Amino acid sequence: MTEQTREMKKKGEDFSVIGKRIPRKEDYRLLTGTAKFLDDMEIPKALHACFVRSPHAHARILSINTEKALSFPGVVTVVTGKELAEWTTSAVMAPPIEGLYPMEMTTLPIDKVRFDGDPVACVVAVDRYIAEDAAELVEVEYEVLPAVTNMFDGMKEEAARVDDQLPTNLVSHQIYEYGNTKEIFAQADHIVEATFSQHRQTHVPMETRGCAAVWDEGRQHLTFYVGTQVPHPLRTSLAGRLGLKETQVNVISPDIGGAFGQKIALYREELTIAALARHLKRPVRWREDRMENLLAASHARQDYVKTRAAVTKDGRVLALEAEIISDFGAYSFFPANYMARVIAMLLPGPYKIQDYAYDVKVVLTNKCPAGPFRAPMAVTSWVTEGTMDAIARELNLDPVHVRQINMLREEDLPYLTATNELYEDITPYETLEKGIAEFGYGEFRKRQEAARKEGRYLGLGICVVVESTTYGSEFYKKAGIPGTGHEAAWVRVEPTGVVNASAGIMGSGQGYETTVAQAVAEGLGVNPEDVSIHLGDTLLAPYGMGSRGARGAVAGAGTAYLAAREAQKKVLQIAAKLLGLDDPQLLKMEGGNIFRRIENEWVQTDLTLVDIAKTAYLNPMELPEGMEPGIEIHKTYDPPPMTYSNAVHLCEVEVDIETGKTEFGRYLIVEDAGNVINPQVVEGQVHGATILGIGGVMLEEVVYDENGQNLTGSLMDYLLPTACEAPTLELVHFNTPNRKTPAGLKGMSEGGVMGAIGAVCNAVNDALSPFGVKVEKQPLSPGYIRSLIRNKEAKNR
Amino acid sequence: MMKPASFTYKRAESLEEVFELLEEHMDEAKIIAGGQSLVPMMNMRLARPAYLIDINNVKGLDYIREENGRIHIGALTRQCDLEQSPLLKEKCPIIPHGVTKIGHYSIRQRGTLGGSLVHADPSAELPVLASLFNANIHIASSEEQRTVPATEFFITIYTTDLMPTEIVTAVDFPVMDPHEGWSYQDFTRRVGDFAIVSVAVTVKLDQEEKVENMRMVIGGAETIPFNLQEMLQSYIGKKADDEWLTSLAEEAVSMLEPGSDIHASEEDRRELLHVLIPKAVKEAIQRAEQKGDRVHG
Amino acid sequence: MDKVGVQLKVNGETYHVFVEPRKLLSDVLREDVGLTGTHVGCEHGVCGACTVLVNGKPMRSCLLFAVQMEGEEITTIEAIAQDGKYSALQKAFHEEHGLQCGYCTPGIILTFESYLKSNPAPTEEEIRDVLSGNLCRCTGYQNIVKAIQKAINAKGDLNGEEDRQ
Repeated sequence: MTEQTREMKKKGEDFSVIGKRIPRKEDYRLLTGTAKFLDDMEIPKALHACFVRSPHAHARILSINTEKALSFPGVVTVVTGKELAEWTTSAVMAPPIEGLYPMEMTTLPIDKVRFDGDPVACVVAVDRYIAEDAAELVEVEYEVLPAVTNMFDGMKEEAARVDDQLPTNLVSHQIYEYGNTKEIFAQADHIVEATFSQHRQTHVPMETRGCAAVWDEGRQHLTFYVGTQVPHPLRTSLAGRLGLKETQVNVISPDIGGAFGQKIALYREELTIAALARHLKRPVRWREDRMENLLAASHARQDYVKTRAAVTKDGRVLALEAEIISDFGAYSFFPANYMARVIAMLLPGPYKIQDYAYDVKVVLTNKCPAGPFRAPMAVTSWVTEGTMDAIARELNLDPVHVRQINMLREEDLPYLTATNELYEDITPYETLEKGIAEFGYGEFRKRQEAARKEGRYLGLGICVVVESTTYGSEFYKKAGIPGTGHEAAWVRVEPTGVVNASAGIMGSGQGYETTVAQAVAEGLGVNPEDVSIHLGDTLLAPYGMGSRGARGAVAGAGTAYLAAREAQKKVLQIAAKLLGLDDPQLLKMEGGNIFRRIENEWVQTDLTLVDIAKTAYLNPMELPEGMEPGIEIHKTYDPPPMTYSNAVHLCEVEVDIETGKTEFGRYLIVEDAGNVINPQVVEGQVHGATILGIGGVMLEEVVYDENGQNLTGSLMDYLLPTACEAPTLELVHFNTPNRKTPAGLKGMSEGGVMGAIGAVCNAVNDALSPFGVKVEKQPLSPGYIRSLIRNKEAKNR
Repeated sequence: MMKPASFTYKRAESLEEVFELLEEHMDEAKIIAGGQSLVPMMNMRLARPAYLIDINNVKGLDYIREENGRIHIGALTRQCDLEQSPLLKEKCPIIPHGVTKIGHYSIRQRGTLGGSLVHADPSAELPVLASLFNANIHIASSEEQRTVPATEFFITIYTTDLMPTEIVTAVDFPVMDPHEGWSYQDFTRRVGDFAIVSVAVTVKLDQEEKVENMRMVIGGAETIPFNLQEMLQSYIGKKADDEWLTSLAEEAVSMLEPGSDIHASEEDRRELLHVLIPKAVKEAIQRAEQKGDRVHG
Repeated sequence: MDKVGVQLKVNGETYHVFVEPRKLLSDVLREDVGLTGTHVGCEHGVCGACTVLVNGKPMRSCLLFAVQMEGEEITTIEAIAQDGKYSALQKAFHEEHGLQCGYCTPGIILTFESYLKSNPAPTEEEIRDVLSGNLCRCTGYQNIVKAIQKAINAKGDLNGEEDRQ
């Protein structure tokens, strides 16, 4: 395998800093062991917490006896849901969405536990070792209840009720129809059906969750340290549930060792720690251990989708129907339809399908609650592209051909999809063509044919991805989901001409300190090394919506870019005054130097940002008339309702029919993420997302037994891909700028997951095609592949 | 829970000291060598010895040497040393090869031969290899020194013949015949994982290319490494043709009762063995033939 | 359980700590010695984030008790860069974007600082095999492999000039 990364010719404007490969500013501390992650924060006299967790999937709590634990030397207190209910309010999830039941949960469960790992008490002690010793001494008496361990059973009338407040486990159900599907299905040449089952997975950031709370009794103020993707929204929730004003709480996020969506919600453990610190008037900290992380942090992706496509005999899709059922686990940390709805919304993908209907059911089960996981909508690309492959298989057509005849082309854009999503400046057709050519599709088919004669089974999978990246406020409003999509940033040119800047996003590996600095440097006209980005502290950063989806570039860096542009405007006005010119239009700044346009040439002046900053702060009398001193810009920005990037994944596999094991061959990705701020960072994101997707398809699986016991509580059982399971990826970049966003940015980072899931499943199906079997669920474990072949052989016998 | 329960730590400087401590604390004590299997269990509080006896400072348990046609290895020998040993590479190459499959590079820096044998995971490489050669396991207590053949040492999963007052000090086994071919095949979901099933084989062919001698052990399919020595007797002295191999694989698999877990079902394990056994035997024969050629030619 | 005095030699310095025998080396390095560059990722020996060097060899510090380490030379990530200057390996990780969140990075750097001494010119397959003992959730490993390869080549080109030793 050779590695190759090529950038296609840029169509956009010329930038001097955006688009540069700059090694990251944050690397030094991370490489030298001097970074500060949550557990590295020194907090004098902090006590350590350990949670007592339910060993049952579903049980009534009859009593909790904390006496023995309390008398254990070194233990400071032990609290349960009862005490916490006095100190905190419940979480209510009740967005105004039709077909969605509101849900409420106390800070810790009081009456019953709802999954294996549900926290029932919290021990606070002088260190974690002693806290664990004492946690073993907390005696909880349970009455075990029947557990709902499967979403299909959970919908049945006789199923046990996960949430006693609800009349059903079907917490959310919506049906939508766009166009006229019924009539089209009635008249179609063919109806092709396909099913897709995705299994339960979990995020496994290398740094688990954790937090530390410091209560200042004199100031009545809480400082809450937590690795969070969304410092400000978390502060709002935390203050609210503690009955404090937002002026009384500061959230500080130190370096984060990976998040992937697991560090968004205000978790019950975090609220418990904050409440305890206030109650005890002593600092309290908690670091989740890996077993807790696997059992009880947050799970994702357990979705079942069935599609029906009405198609003409030449493979044209006339209408599409989808039924989506999602396993939401035991509690609602997010609106229950939040993730499943996006799956449905995106399902038509890059294809011209205006007649589309879907039915989305979300079911409560006695399992760890579900939350967004890097590409919460990940299954959608597999479903769309798996349906395309199913059509090709049933009609005996080439899968590339089926895609081509249905796909949007440049002339169709801008395109309003059946679900009212606006696609602009995307290139599915062009990237597919490029991918096919680059991969050598025809040559592969020959190779595949030859290999089959030798008893070797190669397969090629294609997955075209349309990735929703940045959600604007209008999206939230339309969806009825609490929250907005806007973002905030500030840029300050300091008196010495260096630049501090901040935004509401918070990084967990994305390299924002570099990419946001590049955006600011570009917008302002300085060198990125003179820009320093400060994130994660709610007293320092402006109130923004944080990092989720793939909004870092458009919302985060985009807003900072706009703020920097405003700062530049002010800088140039000052420059004009200092140079004795009327019109700043004839000036520009690059690398902190002021250039003047004389005839058709840009000529560097003696003036630099240092002089201008000095004037702005220390000599305001010299400023243009009416101008305020200083150079401090605060800016908010609300992106378009939705921004899209796109990609094509082409994956070659070889399936060992005897063992069921799949090996990877070439893996090519053609990606169009618009103008990219730092290609190296973007490549890193594509690599990471794709391998995370591959891990999910091939290895990772949260397994519950029929009683609801989680069998995958260690990294020996929950299998993450290692360097030996990760194929080498070849990347080709398109850079089609988005015309509506700052600097033509689009954002990316989740599409790799979507593409991998679809491409790998399609590739394995292609390899298995001579056997007349196909994969319909993940993971594609050797055992599953073998069972397909085994069953087929048994049938043939 | 990821912090171990309390224990008293005792560092032994000699075997005598180890014996004394074992006799004093019996079942409450646990010996730590590399700790690569024990400490994870302690961190999860699945093992909670009251006394931890550290033998890393005990002298004379770390060696690999050849005496009278047998390889002797001290129990405290690190897995990375087994992997790198020129003596083993020459005289018993299946061992360094098999050892590379243990966990990962840094695990092997600390993990020991004795620790792995005593842990007795039926899919682990060193128990499989010890069983393959039916190595003598040297066991000592203050009372006596005894040796037990590996096939009798492993009782069931995580359980051996070792008494609470005893310690494994060494193993010995015959050097491989220079004409012997070998193979170690395993099946894992990921590199470095415990094998779902594994097959270790040695084969020696006679002048007529008939099987003169053969060993085979299956890992991961039973509660102990499963040594097929008895079954193999009827396959010795015959020409290793396709029919011979099919019959051998069929019979071997039929003798096993593999279990199911989240990584593979019983049926998966049987099927995998149907693939791995012929693959291993063929590779071993191929190696034996190559060696034969060199000798004859 | 009673604490015991332990003398640890870490990065050439001697530390006297007073800890319970059950306290893991990872926790003692972080909490008692004050070197927090050693990260704790799983505490059951799978992820490799807590890897340190013991007498120059990479080992999981979550599978060692500090009390066992008297007389051993321990090296942590804090000792790899010298006077604020990256080692060749660290430099290559920086240039090739071989890290994202950086949580697993110290364990990987230490593993390869040691491994490349015993095998200075490994193949990609060998690199990946050794790297398989360290889990990374962000990078997909590709740029890590690339960085290691770059460090190997850089060392060759510079005849060891860039090498710390």
